[in-house]
This record gives sequence, structure tokens and C-alpha cells, in this order.
Amino acid sequence: MDAKCNLITLKNITKFFPGTIANDHIDMELANGEVLALFGENGAGKTTLMSILYGLYQPDEGEIFIKREQVKIRSPHDAMEYGIGMIHQHFTLVPVHTVVENIILGTEKASLKYLNIEEKVKKIEKIGNKYGLEVDPFAIIRQLPVGMQQRVEIIKALYRDARILIMDEPTSVLTSQETEKLFNFIRDFKTKGHSVIFISHKLNEVMEIADRITVLRDGKVVGNVFRQEASESQLTHLMIGRDLIIPKINDRVHPKPEMLKIENLTIMGDRKSKVIDDLSFTVREGEIFGIAGVSGNGQEELAQALCGLRKAKSGQITLSNKDITNKDVLSIIHQGVGYIPADRHKEGLVLDMSIEENLFLKNHSNPSFLHYGFLNQNKIQKNARNLMRDFEIKAASSTSRAMTLSGGNQQKVVVAREINIGTKLLVAVQPTRGLDLGAVDYVHKTLLKEKKEGKAILLISTEFSEIMTLSDRIGVMYRGKLLKIVQRKDAKVDEIGLLMAGITEGKKNKKN
Amino acid sequence: MNKIDSRIEQSSISQDNNTWFNFMPVFSVLLGLLMSGLMMLLLGYNPLIVYTNMLSYAFRDIYNIADIFAKATPLILTGLAFGFAFRASLFNIGAQGQFYIGAVMAVACALKLGSLPSYLTLIICFIMSLIGGSLWAAFIGYVKARFNANEFLVSMMLTYVAIAIMNFLLVGLLKESKGEYPQTDVIPKNGWLPSLIPHTRLHWGFVLALLIALLAYIILWRTSLGYKIRMVGFNRDAARYAGINVENIFVIVFFISGAFAGIAGFTEVNGMQHMLIEGFNPIIGAEGIGIAILGNAHPLGIVLSALLFGALKVGGNLVLQTSRIPASIIGITEGLVILSVILSYYIRDKLIILRSKKKLAVQERHRL
Amino acid sequence: MNIITGLLVATIRMSTPLMLGALGEVFVERTGVMNIAIEGIFLMGAWGGFVGAYLTGKLWVGFLFAIVVGVFCGAVYGYFTIKLKQHQIVTGVAINILTLGLGLFLYQLLFGIPLLPLTVEPLKDISIPFLSDIPIIGSAFFSQNILTYLAVVLIILGYWVLFRTPLGLIIRSTGENPEAVDVAGINVEHIRFLAVLGSSALDGLAGAFYSIGFLGLYTNDIIGGRGWIAFAICFLGNWNPLGILIGSLIFGLAEGLSVFLLTSNFKLIPNEFLIALPYILTIIATIARRQFNVPAFLGKPYIKERF
Repeated sequence: MDAKCNLITLKNITKFFPGTIANDHIDMELANGEVLALFGENGAGKTTLMSILYGLYQPDEGEIFIKREQVKIRSPHDAMEYGIGMIHQHFTLVPVHTVVENIILGTEKASLKYLNIEEKVKKIEKIGNKYGLEVDPFAIIRQLPVGMQQRVEIIKALYRDARILIMDEPTSVLTSQETEKLFNFIRDFKTKGHSVIFISHKLNEVMEIADRITVLRDGKVVGNVFRQEASESQLTHLMIGRDLIIPKINDRVHPKPEMLKIENLTIMGDRKSKVIDDLSFTVREGEIFGIAGVSGNGQEELAQALCGLRKAKSGQITLSNKDITNKDVLSIIHQGVGYIPADRHKEGLVLDMSIEENLFLKNHSNPSFLHYGFLNQNKIQKNARNLMRDFEIKAASSTSRAMTLSGGNQQKVVVAREINIGTKLLVAVQPTRGLDLGAVDYVHKTLLKEKKEGKAILLISTEFSEIMTLSDRIGVMYRGKLLKIVQRKDAKVDEIGLLMAGITEGKKNKKN
Repeated sequence: MNKIDSRIEQSSISQDNNTWFNFMPVFSVLLGLLMSGLMMLLLGYNPLIVYTNMLSYAFRDIYNIADIFAKATPLILTGLAFGFAFRASLFNIGAQGQFYIGAVMAVACALKLGSLPSYLTLIICFIMSLIGGSLWAAFIGYVKARFNANEFLVSMMLTYVAIAIMNFLLVGLLKESKGEYPQTDVIPKNGWLPSLIPHTRLHWGFVLALLIALLAYIILWRTSLGYKIRMVGFNRDAARYAGINVENIFVIVFFISGAFAGIAGFTEVNGMQHMLIEGFNPIIGAEGIGIAILGNAHPLGIVLSALLFGALKVGGNLVLQTSRIPASIIGITEGLVILSVILSYYIRDKLIILRSKKKLAVQERHRL
Repeated sequence: MNIITGLLVATIRMSTPLMLGALGEVFVERTGVMNIAIEGIFLMGAWGGFVGAYLTGKLWVGFLFAIVVGVFCGAVYGYFTIKLKQHQIVTGVAINILTLGLGLFLYQLLFGIPLLPLTVEPLKDISIPFLSDIPIIGSAFFSQNILTYLAVVLIILGYWVLFRTPLGLIIRSTGENPEAVDVAGINVEHIRFLAVLGSSALDGLAGAFYSIGFLGLYTNDIIGGRGWIAFAICFLGNWNPLGILIGSLIFGLAEGLSVFLLTSNFKLIPNEFLIALPYILTIIATIARRQFNVPAFLGKPYIKERF
């Protein structure tokens, strides 16, 4: 690797968070006039690493060198002094203010001097002209399309004389045209001698824009290649990493009846664009249908619609021949749909309540647990004891608060409850997130058991190996569409990986 | 990423039933008394003498002891009003207004129903005060549910509207026959809540307040509705995922909360004052908030805190009569106690965070 | 003096402390903090103003002391809500209860319980020559006391600071997206704490208006909820200093009208209704415009989600 002009060097960077190692002794380098891609799955540690470089976090171990001199970056302020700017995944803009007001925030001391807006506008326009980033300085942020908002973030950094731009998943919110414009800017920026660190999980984009690619997995650097020398399959393999053991499955001779049927479903997202686009698929009884895909491609919205929490714009959701499109949450629960949410702390559990109260969560209007509106404590306790026994939930007692359980046991509570409720369909979103291996194994075994009992299970996960282990059929979701649906026995790891990164057959051939 | 910090820091009053933490209010009360005592010291009084006097006076004879419970009665109810709503993470600041509306309903009924048998009059007054308070509060819940209006402001404003209504009636429809002051006549005897202990001011309203506290407990912890209310208070997202109609809960909670405050109007009018005077019990709502905070928003804690405040008032009043210390020391002590409670919550939250960080650090070490 | 002039004079006079209090509230809420202790600080300001003026015989000392007292109370409130991140409503209520007792306590400590209330000669009006001779409106607008002129000046200044200076931009941004401000390298807690102190200073001054600017004495119910009116005016005026001006005049008018009608023999509308009208208006406004331009992060403590 060319060690000629190392602009930034990260040595041995390590960062702990409670329960995990986000960055594990990472070495990384950035040269002048280079676009470096930080590539890897969600949770690989990319954002954490760059947050350290930008001064938002302090590393527990390791050093940062800029132009071969060791520096300490204690805050974004220090980072900006060194010419480092960061465009986050979630913009830090004030929605009700104008573009100018957002860009200049923090560049002036908190003084009572008259704020000469015209002056600032001139400087912003100069930057806009220099880099081809035109924007209306007096436009209000929340009225701007997302691509424009991102542009404001970029100008914010350039206004502060950033020479190194860190971009965290910048294209996740852009249309393809906006992405093209962004890439043009990056190329232009590079020719002026500056550098860009481009964080992404999208392989096709990385291959298009990067000069060099550093691959992260589980907090470690697993690969560092020049783009010319890299191949897509090699990168996918590095990103996913594990040797996947695909267990033998017995193919069903008789196809079971359809349980869940999604037809032409379209859902509008929070940003007024289609987050689910004309989606169709079915899940049969006794089948696990796995939807693979990197998060942010509409999976969460799909799950919310299935659950009754999000309205569909058009299309139909049918459960066991009953139309449940846009029905309210409670009726869908009564229909026998169980839902294991992605965030057990936010949606799955009430941490301050006891285990038995949590296991009772969706039964609050169930007459068999009530006696004229009064809670039948015996029934609730019995229910809890049974579920705790059947699902081996380890706790001091059923009256302990959910907060006191380990992550794995907490998830068991959610799983136990939802399997109990979900007599027909189980929707599991990221069911093993944040769990240790033992808990992961348990959840997987449980899902397979429920499958055998004839339930339809929709598994939505960003963990590729999980999808491969459990699913009978696999669909890959990208930008609100299902790119392909395959039987597991026909699934090729590399192909799925490429699909997850958005590279379809057509695109791949175009590349070569 | 671990969000324990932000989650805990956002809960100023814990809905924690952990025994150890239940002693916190006791410490806070002592701390508040200590600070109040310091104030007395700085200004030349001996706090020890003042406090022992307060205690001995308050428990001097049966009349004073009974007075403690009589004074505690409306405090229990306005405390329950705030505390109940708080369990849903809602803030009913308008208890003062709901109290006044309840009082107006009670006194109007009592004045007009002089010819009915006593138990009937009392029941009607009770029901009307309940309805008055609950509807006055339900409006707040409704506008919050439907329009996402700021409930703090609406409840604050409604209190003033209630005061205006009450004052209007006091110089008009309900005015006393003598016509001198903005107050009503004394209500006929059949509207008087019977005395609990003869020759004292303690009336059956106290028992009613205790029953209401019990009712609040039963609703919150023994019914499906209460379960939903608490869930909405703990985790609104999970409540939605569980199919609970959160907006409906808003209205119901304010309705019940207002009912409690309205009943406080009934107990004060029919049990204590036996009439309606302009500007009476002007801070009963605010004191209810303080009591609810001190009582950790739990019916039992609220009852005990109300009794404490009642004792402070009775003892304080008597101390005033016999020494030169101003009566306002009572208000100061109340305020300092509440501030100490807030302080104690901060300390307790910090302890929780420290404990869980330690736990996770230990887990971490075992992992590596 | 004819009716209209009299009414105008009373309106503008009564709206003075409301303008001060509401202006302070605008600034502090624009940073995302509600100063719920406003009523209590008004009261302590009234106390402080009276004590300062009575003991030294000079009104300006009273006003100065009122400001100091206000800032002190604000510091306590700010410490609990910003540094300790405790709940704003709970803390505010605690301080309001505390000050109710404290005001009376300290007053009685200093002066005992005099048979007749102690008095101080309140602020005299200052007539601006020539302008105050304009018929009808002249004496109303240009023959007020110095605090009224100050309030108007402060509102105009406040508008300018909020919308035309870097400090104002930072203040506004803090309430809308504290994270954006934090990432820009500005200490959110400092900004908020300073805003609380500033608004409390204005609240203290406003409270002193009632005791030494207008009535000339101190009683425990001298404020009677007007701190809350100032609080409401902040909402009603859409967090804009110019909106405050209008809102204060509306409430001032209501108060002036009711005083006027009390002393006259007009019995057109019940007095109480007039008093209640601004409150009802506020409720309607709160509902109808769905919280206007509420600062997005109003009432939420800023917690950095980082280690």
C-alpha cells in the first residue's frame, strides 16, 4: 500500500461500549486526494470509528495522527480545526430555519453584533459555485428535499474550510439522480486535492466512487484493497465473513395453504417517498419466509404495516383469507398475529413492569384474563409461570422487573409472549439483535419449532447468516422492493450478498 | 447503544416500588425540615424549640389531632388528582380549577336541596361535584388527544376561568342573603357531612378520601384500565404496539383525575367550611402536586404525605399563636421539603446509573 | 380625562409587567426551557423591590434588588432543571410553593405585622413633552412611568437580538434542535442557564412593578396569578417579542377594563367574564393553531446520548 502522503493515520483505535467492543484495535489510513470507502454491515463499527475521528467520542485506546503528527481530537471543534468535516446519517439541521442560518450556526461568537446575512450569503454562493453545490440560501430546511438538505450539510462543512469530508451512508436517503450529483461533487472535490471517507454498505456505490476500500466486520479491519484490485464477490465475502453451514432441510412434498398474502403493497414513508413499492409475496403455513436486506430499505415500515401501526397507501394484506389491510392494532393481535419487534426496549417490553405484566402485555382486553374489568391475578401469574417454564426464562421470580433481566432473557420474554399470541402468523424483526450466542441459538431453535407446528413465520433480518439458517424461502429487499425470491436450496450466498447491496443481474453485467 | 442513561434521566419521579427507595421520601422530609430549621436559625429562632412545640401542639389534644386529619382530607384528594394523572405521564395542573368547580356544584346543590333528607343531599352533592370536576378536566384530556394542545397551558388557563365562574356566582346567584360579602350563605344542616369525632372538625369526608385513595389503588393496580394507564405512562410506544388507544386513555385519565379534585371540593364545602367563600383554599391544587411528588405518586404515599402536611399546618398554626415566628414558615417548609424530594430523585437516579454501569463493566470484564 | 384615555392609560400601565415577564419567557423558551417558576419569581421580585426601596428610601435600589433576587431564584430553578435535569414542572411548582411562604416570611421577619401596611411612594409618571399633549392617546402612550418605557424598549431590543444577531440565532437554534447547536461546538447547558437567569431578572423586575411601581406596598397576593398570564402571553404571542406586545396589551386591556368598570357604574358585561376572557382566548388559541411555532424541544432536558 502506498504510504506516500498519509493525511490521516488511525493506530490501534479501540472503543468499548457496555456489552460490546465497537472498535477492536483498528488501524486505518487516508491519503491526500483519495476517496476511501469504509465498507461493512450494520454494526460493524464504521460510524463509531469516524465519530472518534470527528471528536464525538474518545477512544479507549489508540492514537490519531494527522500529517504524521499525533493529535488529540476532543470535540468536533478540534476536528474542524484540522479540516475534518462530517456529514452524519441523521442531519443536525434546524428544520424551521433557513439554509444560511443553519450553515453559519456556531461560526460566529455569541455576540450582540449585527448579523450581516448578505456577507454570509456571498460566501455560501462562492462555495456553491466552486463545487457545483447550488442552493437557495433563504429556503427553509424542512421544505427542502432530502438531497438538498444533505447538500446544506456539505456546505456547512465546506464553509468551515473542511478538506477532509466524512460521509456516513450519504446515499441512504437519496434518489439515484441525487446520488449521481453527489458522486460528481465527490470526484470534483478530490481533484482539488481533498479527501473523502465514504461510509457505506452498498457495494455498487463503493465500487463506483472509491479509490480504496477498507472493510470492517465486528469491529475489526478484515480487508484493505484498492478498488482496481478488488472484486465484488471478494468484498461481499469479507463483509459477511462467516462460513455458512446450511443445514439439510426436508423439502415439503405438499405445499401448505397460504397464510399471509401481500399484494401490491405500497407504503409512504415519513419523507413523502415510497418506502414500500408495489410489494407482493406470500408466506405459507409451516414456512419461514426470510427477508434479507440491509436496514433502511423499508423493512421496518413493512413490519409496522403488518402490525397495524402504519397505514398502507395501496395494496392488500390478507391473513388466512381475511383482509387485514389498515386494520387497527388490537384486531390484528386478535387475529393471531405475533410480532417480535426490532427494539425490545422501545416496543417490546415495558422495562419498569414485572415479567408477568410484560407477558400479559397484549392480553389487556382479553376476557379470559379479566373478571368484569378486574385483572385476574391468578391467571396472569399462571400464564407467566407457564411461559417462563416453557421458554426457560431465567429470573428471580415472575414479579421481578423486566429491567433486571439479561438481554437474552428479555428477548425470551418477548418471544414467549408473541409466540403465545401469534397463533397464525409470527413476524420477527431482528429477533436476535444484541444477544449472546446461547440466546441466539435458543431463539433460532424456537422459531424452527414453531414452524414445525404449522405457523407462518416472516423473518426480517439484516443478519445474513440468520436468514440462511432459518428460511425456507428468501427474498431480498432493496429500496422497498423485493428483488428476488428464491428457495433456500437454490440460494447462492454471493448472489444474495450482491442483491443486498443493490446489485442486480443487470447492473452487474453493465459493470463488466 | 445503551440508552439506560437517557431513559432513566427522563424520569424525575420513579414509578419504583423498590423498598429501599421508599425511604427516600423520609430522608427528603428530614432534609427539608433541616433546611427549614437552618432558616429559622439564621433568623434568630431555635429550630429545636419550634419543632418540638409544633409536635406537642399538634398532638396536644383530640381537637388538634382531629384537625390534622381534617386538613389532610382535601390534600389527599388533590394529591391523588395529580398523582393519578402522573401515572400516565400526564400533568394535571388544573386541579385547583377542578376543585373550585366541584365546590361550586356541591354548594349549589346543598343550598337548593335544603328540604331533602341528609343522606340524599350528600349523595347528590357528591355526585355533582364529581361530575363537575371530571368534565372540567376531561376537556383538557380531549384537546390534548385530539389537537395535541399543550395540556399545561390549557389546564392553567381553565383554572382561572373556573375562578372567574366561581366569583361570578358568588356575587350573583349564590350570593348570601345578607348581600355583604362575596360568599354564600351557610348551607343547611342536612348538607353537612356528619362529624367523625364529636367536638372536632373531623368529618366523614376523611373516610371518603381514604376510600377514594383505595379506589385509585385498585383502579391502577387491579384493573385492566389501570394496567393500560400505567403502560401508557411507562412506555407509550409499547402501549401502541399492544393495541392500546393512547388518546382514549388521555381523556379517561383526566376525567378520573378531575373527579378526585372535584370531590375535594365536596369535602371542603360540605365537611369543613359549610359554605363557599371567595378565594378559599387558594393553593390546594399546588399543595396536591407537592404531596403527590412527596408520596411518589402512590395512593399510600399520598395519604401519608397529606397527613404530614396536615400536621405541619396544624402545628405551624399553633406555633404562630404562641411565638413570634411567622406562619409562613409552614409554606416554606413545604416548599423546601419538595425541593429536597427532587434532589433525592436526582441522587437516586445517579445511584441507579452508577449501579448499572458497574454491572455492565463487570459483565464486560468477564467477557474479555 | 375621558373614558378612552383613561382606559388606554390603565391598559398600558397594567401590561408593563406582563411585557417584561413575557419577554423573558420568550427568550428562555426559545432555548427549550420553560421557566415555570415565573409566578414565584414575580412574587420574590415584588418582595425584593419593596424591601430595597423601603430600607433605603430609593426606588432604584428596590428595582435593582428585585433583579438580584430574581436572578438568585432563577439560578436555583436553572440548577435543578438544567444541571440536575429534573422535571421542569415539578421543580417550578416546588419553587412557587416555596416563594409563597418565603415572601411573607421574610417580610414579616423584617417588618413584623404592622397594623397598617407599610407603603412606599411608587413610581411617578414621566411625561414626554409635546408628545404627551396629543389628544386622547397622548397621555396614554407618552405619560407613563419609566418602567413602561423600558419595557417597550426592551421588547424592540429583544426582537432585534433574537432575529438579527448571532446570539439570537444560537438561542433560537437551541430550542429547535439542541443537537445541532451542540455539534457546532456551543455548550447547550450554558446557553439555557443564561437564558433562565435573564428571564428571571426580567421576572423579578416585573414583580417589583406591582409593589413599588404601582401599588406602593407589598402583600402576599400582590401578584395573583399574573406571572402565569405572562407565561401564557409567551404562547399566545407565538414566541415573538412583537407578538408579546400585542398579547400583553390584550391582557392589560382586560385588566384595565375590569378595574375601570368596577369603579364606574357600568354593568354591561359581568366583570368576571372580562377577566376570564383573555384566558379563554388563550385556550382557543392553544387549540386552534396546534401549538404555533412551539420550539421543537421545549421542555425536554438535553441529554447527550454519548459516553
